[in-house]
Amino acid sequence: MQVQVKLFAFFREGRFIKEDKELPTDTTAGQVVDDLNIDREEVGVLMLNSRHCKFDTVLQEGDIYAIFPVIGGG
Amino acid sequence: MVVDQKAVLALLKKQAKGTYIGLDELQKTAETFDCSLRDIETIALSYSILPARFQRNGLSCSEQLKLFQTKVAIIGCGGLGGRTAELLARLGIGHLILTDPDVFSESNLNRQIFCTTETLGCNKVDIVSRELQKINPVLETSLHVSRFNTLSITTAEIVIDALDSTTARKELSALCRKHSIPMIHGAVREWYGQVTIEQSANSLIDTLYHQTTENSLPPHVLPMTVSLIASLQVAEACKLILGTGSPILDGWLQCDLLHSEYEHIKTGACR
Repeated sequence: MQVQVKLFAFFREGRFIKEDKELPTDTTAGQVVDDLNIDREEVGVLMLNSRHCKFDTVLQEGDIYAIFPVIGGG
Repeated sequence: MVVDQKAVLALLKKQAKGTYIGLDELQKTAETFDCSLRDIETIALSYSILPARFQRNGLSCSEQLKLFQTKVAIIGCGGLGGRTAELLARLGIGHLILTDPDVFSESNLNRQIFCTTETLGCNKVDIVSRELQKINPVLETSLHVSRFNTLSITTAEIVIDALDSTTARKELSALCRKHSIPMIHGAVREWYGQVTIEQSANSLIDTLYHQTTENSLPPHVLPMTVSLIASLQVAEACKLILGTGSPILDGWLQCDLLHSEYEHIKTGACR
C-alpha cells in the first residue's frame, strides 16, 4: 500500500520533508517511526489524515501520515 | 483615581502636538496634579490623545487603552520571555508580571535580548524589568524571582509560556486551565519553533507534549528562531486582547526557518 509520510522540524534533517512510501499491509504508525530511526521518546504528535493517531494505529492505503517532534526550548 | 479629569484634560490638550503627547508633557502633567503617570496616560488615551511613543503602532486610542489596561504574565524570562517582554512593553501593555528564578549566564548571550556581558550573573527578572522601564516608563512590572506559582498568574488576563521544560509547561498549562486564563505557548529548538493558544476549552499542551520525558541536555536554539516565535506569541496576545480573533485557535503554527516553511496544523479528534 502507498502512504504519504510527512516529517516536521528536525526530523527532516538527513531524512526528507515529504515522501510517498510503499509499505506492507498492516504497517503501524510506530513501525514507520522505528524504520526512520526516530527515537519514539522524541515524538510529540502523530497525525493521520489530520487526525491524531497513536504508535499502534494501523495505516491504510492512501493515508497521509505526519510525524512531529517534541520542541521544548524557551 | 482622585483627580480633576477636566483640568487634566485641559492641560493635556494645551500641551499636545495635534493628537499626540510626549512623555515629558505627560510627566509634567502628573507632577502638576500630583498623581501617577499611569493616571495621566489613562486620561489621555480615554480622550483620544495618543502618547507619542505609540504613534507608529497605528492603533486607535481605544485599542491602546485596552492594551494599557491589560496585565500579562510572562513565565520564564530567558529567550522567549525576554523578547516577548520587550515587544509587549513597546506595544504598550500596561502591566507585566515577570517570573524566573535564574540569573544570566554566558550560554544565554546567543539569544536572550537582555543578556549582555554586563548582566551576567544578575537576576533575569530584575534586569528585564530595569530595561523595560527604559523602553516604556509607564509600564508597571511585578517581579517574582522564583519558579512560577499561582501568584505568578492569577491576576493576569493572559499568560505567556516562555518555559524550557516539558514538565513545567504541563504544570503551567494545568494551572492556567484551572484559572481559565488563556496561555500563549511558544517553544523553540534549533531552526524550529511552534506557537499555539491554549484555552480552557482545549488541551493543546497535552497534545503537543503527551510524553513527559525531559531531555537531559538543554536544546540548541538559534537567536532568529527565538525572535520569530516570540514575535508570533506577542502578535497572538495582541489579537486576543483586541478581540480580532486568530486562525490558529484550532491548532498550532509550526515554523521551520531552515526550509522556510510555516504551517498551520489543525488538530483533529483521536482516531
